[in-house]
Amino acid sequence: MEDMYIKPGNQERGWNDPPQFSYGLQTARGPQRSLLNKRAAPPGSGAPPPCGVTPPPLNPAGPPPGGLATPPPPGGLATPPHPIGPMRIQGEVDSWSSEPDVDVVVGVLNRALAACRHAIKDQVCNDVAKRLCLLKDSWTSGRLSLPVRRRMDTLSKELQLGHWDSADEIHRSLMVDHVTEVSQWMVGVKRLIAETRNLSPALLESLQKPAGPAEDPARPVDPVSQSGP
Amino acid sequence: MTTYQEFIQQNEDRDGVRFSWNLWPFSRQDATRLVVPVSCLFTPLKERPNLPPVQYEPVMCSRANCKAVLNPLCQVDFRAKIWACNFCFQRNPFPPSYGGISEVNQPAELMPQFSTIEYIVQRGPPAPLIFLYVVDTCLEEEDLQALKESLQMSLSLLPPNALVGLITFGRMVQVHELSCEGISKSYVFRGTKDLSSKQIQEMLGLTKPAAAVGQQGRPLAPQDAAASCRFLQPVHRVDMNLTDLLGELQRDPWPVPQGKRPLRSTGVALSVAVGLLEGTFPNTGARVMLFIGGPPTQGPGMVVGDELKTPIRSWHDIQKDNARHLKKATKYYEALANRSAVNGHSIDIYACALDQTGLLEMKCLSNLTGGHIVMGDSFNTSLFKQTFQRVFNKDYNGDFRMAFGGVMEVKTSRELKVCGTIGPCVSLNSKGSCVSENEMGIGGTSQWKVCSLDPSTTLGIYFEVVNQHNAPVPQGGRGAIQFVTQYQHSNTQRRIRVTTVARNWADAQSQIQHIESSFDQEAAAVLMARLGVFRAESEEGPDVLRWLDRQLIRLCQKFGQFNKDDPTSFKLSESLSLYPQFMFHLRRSPFLQVFNNSPDESSYYRHHFVRQDLTQSLIMVQPILYAYSFHGPPEPVLLDSSSILPDRILLMDTFFQLVIYHGETIAQWRKAGYQDMPEYENFKQLLQAPLDDAQEILQTRFPMPRYIDTEHGGSQARFLLSKVNPSQTHNNLYAWGQETGAPILTDDVSLQVFMDHLKKLAVSNSV
Repeated sequence: MEDMYIKPGNQERGWNDPPQFSYGLQTARGPQRSLLNKRAAPPGSGAPPPCGVTPPPLNPAGPPPGGLATPPPPGGLATPPHPIGPMRIQGEVDSWSSEPDVDVVVGVLNRALAACRHAIKDQVCNDVAKRLCLLKDSWTSGRLSLPVRRRMDTLSKELQLGHWDSADEIHRSLMVDHVTEVSQWMVGVKRLIAETRNLSPALLESLQKPAGPAEDPARPVDPVSQSGP
Repeated sequence: MTTYQEFIQQNEDRDGVRFSWNLWPFSRQDATRLVVPVSCLFTPLKERPNLPPVQYEPVMCSRANCKAVLNPLCQVDFRAKIWACNFCFQRNPFPPSYGGISEVNQPAELMPQFSTIEYIVQRGPPAPLIFLYVVDTCLEEEDLQALKESLQMSLSLLPPNALVGLITFGRMVQVHELSCEGISKSYVFRGTKDLSSKQIQEMLGLTKPAAAVGQQGRPLAPQDAAASCRFLQPVHRVDMNLTDLLGELQRDPWPVPQGKRPLRSTGVALSVAVGLLEGTFPNTGARVMLFIGGPPTQGPGMVVGDELKTPIRSWHDIQKDNARHLKKATKYYEALANRSAVNGHSIDIYACALDQTGLLEMKCLSNLTGGHIVMGDSFNTSLFKQTFQRVFNKDYNGDFRMAFGGVMEVKTSRELKVCGTIGPCVSLNSKGSCVSENEMGIGGTSQWKVCSLDPSTTLGIYFEVVNQHNAPVPQGGRGAIQFVTQYQHSNTQRRIRVTTVARNWADAQSQIQHIESSFDQEAAAVLMARLGVFRAESEEGPDVLRWLDRQLIRLCQKFGQFNKDDPTSFKLSESLSLYPQFMFHLRRSPFLQVFNNSPDESSYYRHHFVRQDLTQSLIMVQPILYAYSFHGPPEPVLLDSSSILPDRILLMDTFFQLVIYHGETIAQWRKAGYQDMPEYENFKQLLQAPLDDAQEILQTRFPMPRYIDTEHGGSQARFLLSKVNPSQTHNNLYAWGQETGAPILTDDVSLQVFMDHLKKLAVSNSV
């Protein structure tokens, strides 16, 4: 999942800066796997651990003097239980390679805006339109990374399907994970989501029916992509 | 038959309360002799997913000076429809709406499992949440850019109807008018002039001509104010303009000559923020969020001058009475904090700079109002960005994990009085029959205001038993305490949470062993530590340590088993066995030791210590250490130098830092790259296991801790070495040459030596 990742902190600016978790990881966590809050009981009541009482564990791979031992061979020895959860560090990997189409994405957003024009002040609509232009510019001039383009693609599909909460959630995840790329124009998309969800069904029809010569009218709407929580 | 362990856990889960003693001595004299006071850690808004709030108002005792809330401990006469208050014994008729009650048809608040219950009350109009950003522009370009982006991001996390405002400051202070159309205006204030609240409101045009103010001069209702205030606007209306406004923010334009600090008017900026909210939204939940990249350098509240050759005060300067601005600045910020608290507004401080920023002087802003303090190196770090993001975390219902305008009231049965509270609150000076004259923490009241709370905000509350000695213990008698917390939920509802708890009385003469086994040593350690930290804010460090030591020795004398003058015979029962160890680590902790910490760091650490819940507080006192090896699953090990072994990886959690330490052999293996060989997959897994566990902690902790990955001999191994008990040092040679851990180069006393002295003192009569 490309929206579940951890990237290293900014070691140049912050001393021992912790890693950064993506929005998806932050919100999709289940119950805590293991609570590390136990303490070893001190030997004897109230007594401190006497020095040297704990015998050194018999180490089958103890380093021989002067040489470097190898780690114990696999098998036979107890290895710590190690569930492989969603916590592994991973980059935003290309799991599928389809390139979202800028015209399709911006087309959906523009139709949503057109639907809003009947109900909302011109000035707001113009503001949104300005930001959609910015989005298109950034996209066509190659300033948007693939994860952003993909998530915008999904967002536009959710918007088209009337899944407002899901679209809003994707907007939020983009703001958190890729604020530098999207902050200028995303607020317009955010407003668009908020305004279209208030529109009457009649006004929404034009949005839900894909139209216009730029698009294949038979394009199936793909509900497979990530739906928000 | 449940054990005390289980009983304690159940009570914490259900009521968010942990008492130092779970059986209470019946007389004042006996209670005093227990050394650790009857006290509790109370988490007013502890998350209770399985506790849906009820949609009616609580039924209260009709006696004017009691007003306790009907609860499961009250005796009820179902036929006469009367209940007796368990605090003042007043007999109260049920209100008419309870006409249908019977033994088999009881309202929730009478059922034992609802010892904690939450009411939704509908009073007045719903108040919006308010967020006022106060932003320092004397930042480096990179930091300002990162901060601007974080602020823009936060607009997406706020609820659409929240009100938001923006003040920026450098040499001047600018209050930005937020309009949805046209050109944005701002009001500029000089950063050197202290203005009264009234002046600020006049200058911002917030005061209305007399006729426009509501009848008889009543303040405006929140909606009227919302309509009239151009500085605080709903996010959904202004988000586009505010995003642009933030995007266009520039660094403070005034030139900063060489050898000078930028002129930063933090004091006036805060004064304007507090004045603005005071004038527009008194008694409505609001958060002032202050972002600073350096100390205040001019005007009221200045902490250091602008000459770089004069460094900001250190502990040394303070001890030598050489901190010029300390008292004046502290006084200034305390006055602001108190005004803010009166109005129910909280103040957060996000301080990101490599040097100190004046948290020592400004800490009261957050400590008195329940605000957050976050301290980082730069705004362009994941530590800041994620911590800030987590301020807006949501709970299982999708509501913010933040509440506003909390008022917590404590009611006690007649045998008890409340001495005070330690936590992020202020006194409401509500005197009453249950208030003790003996103050501990913030005392002299039975009501406290907590302007901002989250589900982990925890108060330490201290009590006193007031019965005369030799008064007979009533058979089956119990003492009771009720906590009534009124607050504004983040969904804008007014709510009241009521928790009623009781514990049995015991005769300290004949039942001392029962009392001893009811001791909750974890709670007691944190409660005593809070008293210590509270003292440390006003007293000299060594005095506080002496006080703590004396308490510990007295406790050991009271409960230890020993033959007089024979230290080797000394023993503590299981319920007290860990307590001396907690005190040992507390003495070494940054909460009581200022060595190696700046005044700002000490303030920061103490700020978090007096508000976290028991588990987190205890981690701060005695960090948790886990070992990962080929010898078995990960296991907790002693926080001791003997735990540092070559074939182990250690994970230490100190709350503020997560340290992963690779033992010598492991580090060599890692360097040799065994983890990359397919036949050593198990080694790769071993290396990964502590990283995964650390991530688990990193994902939930607020604030984000620093994250240190180090190994044997690494310079950052010092974080581990300075926390473990130095049982082996360069001084006790017999440990050398054995594979029993790592000797620590320190002259600090080890736990063993500490215990030996403690035993010696406990078995003698000298203290």
